[in-house]
Amino acid sequence: MARYLITRAWQSALTLLLSTIVVFLGVRALPGDPALALAGEDRSPEALEAIRHHYGLDQPLPLQFAQYVGRAAQGDFGESIRTGIPVSSMLTTALPVTVELAVLAILLAAALGVGAGVLAAVRRGHPAEWLANGLALVGLSVPHFWLALLAILYLSVATGLFPASGFVPLLDNPVDNLHHLILPAVILGTGLAAIIMRQTRSAMLDSLSSDYVRTAKAKGLRPRAVITHHALRNSLIVVVTIVGLQLGGLISGAVVTEQIFGLPGFGKMTIDAVFQRDYPVIQAVVLLTAAAYIVINFLVDLLYSVIDPRIRVTGDPA
Amino acid sequence: MTNLPFREPSLPRLRPLRAALAAVAVACTVAACSPVSEGGGGTGSGGNQSAGQDSFGTPADPATVRDGGNLVIALSAEPDALDPTLSRSLYSRYVFQAMCQKLYDVDEKAQVVPQLATALPTTSSDGKSVTIPLRENVRFADGTQFDSAAVKATLERHLSNARSARKSELGPVAGVDTPDAHTVVIRLQQPFAPLVGALADRAGMIMSPKALQTLGDDFASAPVCVGPFKFAKRVPQNSIEVVRDPNFYDASKVHLDGITWRILSDASIRAANLRSGDAQVADSVSTQDVGALQQDSALTVLQSQSLGYQGLTFNIGNVDGVGTAPKSIDRPIAQNAKIRQAFEHAIDRKALVQAVFNGINAEACSPISPASPFSSPEAQNCPTHDPAKAKQLLAEAGVQTPYPVTILASNTPDTLRLVQALQAMVKEGGFDLKINPVEYSSLLDEQDRGNFELLQLGWSGRIDPDANITNFVGTRASQNVAGYSNPQLDDLLTQARQTSDIEERKKLYGQAVTLLQQDDALIYLYRQRNLTAFSNKIQGLQVFPDGVIRAAFAGFTK
Repeated sequence: MARYLITRAWQSALTLLLSTIVVFLGVRALPGDPALALAGEDRSPEALEAIRHHYGLDQPLPLQFAQYVGRAAQGDFGESIRTGIPVSSMLTTALPVTVELAVLAILLAAALGVGAGVLAAVRRGHPAEWLANGLALVGLSVPHFWLALLAILYLSVATGLFPASGFVPLLDNPVDNLHHLILPAVILGTGLAAIIMRQTRSAMLDSLSSDYVRTAKAKGLRPRAVITHHALRNSLIVVVTIVGLQLGGLISGAVVTEQIFGLPGFGKMTIDAVFQRDYPVIQAVVLLTAAAYIVINFLVDLLYSVIDPRIRVTGDPA
Repeated sequence: MTNLPFREPSLPRLRPLRAALAAVAVACTVAACSPVSEGGGGTGSGGNQSAGQDSFGTPADPATVRDGGNLVIALSAEPDALDPTLSRSLYSRYVFQAMCQKLYDVDEKAQVVPQLATALPTTSSDGKSVTIPLRENVRFADGTQFDSAAVKATLERHLSNARSARKSELGPVAGVDTPDAHTVVIRLQQPFAPLVGALADRAGMIMSPKALQTLGDDFASAPVCVGPFKFAKRVPQNSIEVVRDPNFYDASKVHLDGITWRILSDASIRAANLRSGDAQVADSVSTQDVGALQQDSALTVLQSQSLGYQGLTFNIGNVDGVGTAPKSIDRPIAQNAKIRQAFEHAIDRKALVQAVFNGINAEACSPISPASPFSSPEAQNCPTHDPAKAKQLLAEAGVQTPYPVTILASNTPDTLRLVQALQAMVKEGGFDLKINPVEYSSLLDEQDRGNFELLQLGWSGRIDPDANITNFVGTRASQNVAGYSNPQLDDLLTQARQTSDIEERKKLYGQAVTLLQQDDALIYLYRQRNLTAFSNKIQGLQVFPDGVIRAAFAGFTK
């Protein structure tokens, strides 16, 4: 086990380093120049030179890279070229917003998806199933941005039920915070809810026709108990896996949702940084995302061996 | 370069649009109409343009406005560093307007008026010494005294900071003197008329010397100036908040408790926020949305003609990058002005503005806005739309038709609609226009390197005409991306910037426009209108020709 851990740890570190190099070179390979983007209308050669010098963009690439890695290792991601604000402080304000949005979206999606999935499986051939299936189809096919626009039009402009934009930090006012986040979270969660619904439904149908459910029924258990304690419980394993797999999709969905609702999160920060060629911000965001993926994968692999002893873990590559 | 609003492409809309354009173009050929060129007189605010009437807004009436409340303004793009020395984004000016007063301001006629100064500057007879009298009993937001020493400290920072965006605006300043606490004298190496215009923008925003000392290059993290409001908080890429400053010298005129600018890049989202009441003001309303917003009785739309322009630039000598010596380019359109003139004659600006911008933006044929006090009949002269003449010029130039031209343009939906309309239009004049859309940052890069044949970009405009012309067409000037050089034009522009007599300057700029239209390195197309929508619950919101939203003295209706 220890050997496995060590191997995985250094593999992860190597992946992280490689992704750092790819991002570093990638953003510089993009056409466009951050100095030009920053200079805006008032750009003279001297001004551009001064900007490049200030941000070290006039130095050789290997030196820029070494400095970047050296500082990043100490948690210093430099300052945003656009606003002059330290990137680490931008991350600390943006991350909690996106994490809260994603968690809310997952919770809502899971509640909605599992509920509808169970209903569709239990009431097979019933109008309830058609309705659930229809909604899932809509949830999967309608793009987020369009749903978001509709939601703003009908739930904010027409009825004033929810604010159309803005954000209040959780610690400042939890009620206001939820009021601002609920609409974006529902929109963001629709796709996920649809996927969860379909997976739950098919897993439930499998379980319902399996031997242990027949046994449970034969023991004389009430249908409700059979469904919740036996069939659903086993179906949930699939759901948990799906949620894990969909995290990436959720983050890319957050990019669009945050942009539309004007939420100061990670996604909006990334988009703006890319358009402005704000190298330090792009690098930090991608590095952090890559690190998160690597850590999650690492943890998931570890968890497998904990959950299921049949999955043997050795230091050798499978 | 204005940020065109971020909207979803509306492709189905294009086909009827093109059909309409073609119809207009055909009708014009048949009837041989001679459009535009109702060259407006110098004064006034462009009332003769086809676009809607100017409305700048009115000051708040103290009797009907209540004190208190927080105003939310939906802003289309994020301001950059909130440091008057470093700021390069137009949107920073909106925020500065509430918290950083300037030595001079502009009024609705685009005339310079005193703000932190008490009178317009007096210039010595040789034009090399400019004396500015300052307001007394004025305090910065940190409580320290505003005086001539503070003005000197600010101006010297503008001139010496390595990343300063103000250095070139201030011109050939030799030094700043402070004969007493309320007088500043700026000494110049040569006369420089555009100086006053610069002091009515960010160069004239005076920063607290105490804050400059403690914050240094980090001034933007907690900017301190003289203003109705003071900086409170900034959430990067999301919002900026200011609160009322009790130290402000005219605090009794301030009604609001605070102002929040919330960045919402999509025009329809800004409009939705305005309607839902989450924001009370929205900037850069799309010309497509104006009609609907004007119909809404709960809203008011302010519009004023911009001092800038949108245009087409031919690359006629930019080989080694902007600012380098122009070199010959082996392309007929780069070498022969007749082909460029033909291109201009093929454009029907009136139809273009009608079809693409619902007639809201105004046709433009020169860098001088009819709203500018420096406008003249010569400056508003306009080459006619005449496809037959275009073809004749092409024949004289001895090139085959259709003559192929590739245009580099930003990939925003509004720009694409514009260049597609152009494409249909110039076809009739004998041109085959190919469109090469690129993302904005890449466009700037290609532009400065000289990797284009023709490109579409614009300029947001400044008070002094020099700032709208010389940098773009002067030989080797910092933004002369065309690689254009005409010594005769350079002479005229130098004379104009060294003369303080307005009539003389008007005449010189008129002559400059004539030369510009002969050489046609830059074809001016249209002038955007500054479109700002606000809720009728608000009073006293104003937008002048500099495009800046003036919200500092606004308030909620009782």
